[in-house]
Amino acid sequence: MKIIKRTIIVVFCLLLIPVAAIATAGAKQRFEDGPNRVFSGGPLVAGELHSGPDPDWSFVSDIPTIEMQLLDPAQSRRIWIAEYENKIYVWSGYMGNPIGRLWKQWPIQAERDGRAVIRINGIRYERQLKRLRTGDVLDGLTAAITAKYPSATTRAAVEAGDVWVFEAAPRS
Amino acid sequence: MKNFYIFTAVAVVATILAVLFVPGVDDYVERTFQVYLGRAAR
Repeated sequence: MKIIKRTIIVVFCLLLIPVAAIATAGAKQRFEDGPNRVFSGGPLVAGELHSGPDPDWSFVSDIPTIEMQLLDPAQSRRIWIAEYENKIYVWSGYMGNPIGRLWKQWPIQAERDGRAVIRINGIRYERQLKRLRTGDVLDGLTAAITAKYPSATTRAAVEAGDVWVFEAAPRS
Repeated sequence: MKNFYIFTAVAVVATILAVLFVPGVDDYVERTFQVYLGRAAR
């Protein structure tokens, strides 16, 4: 019995090392201007704030990821982006999975308060995230997503709630 | 066991300091975490 107890203690102690590393890296990123990979970063501070009409968004087809910050909470993350009919969209997969929902908090926060700032090529854009649950636009949009990324996103997955899609519309 | 506890405490503190102050360690931790998180979420 004693050896089992000791084994549990040893395993627990050894697990503390990677847990400390992950917690520290995650906490450190919160104080940075923007995200890195999976850990949320702080508010997007650097970069010119775009004003005026929207640009021709077709250039985002060549951009693998963007930085996006919600105003509430003021945290940023790195995400994929797609353009379709000169509108831009962001999305989150894994939303039908408990671990995914634990990992991806931003879609839930964005549905509550969609005010966001995105930074692309060093320029910040103020946007309003509007969730798309259904509609024919999803056919073309998911085709654009799967053409750009190794993603199995489908209209059915969006409508089933496994993928949450948001239009990053201009903020009025 | 006492020596093991000391080793663990030193290792945890050294890990935290390395992540905070050694360039590239935080990115390595995040990259590794991303791999395991991605697998778990599938």
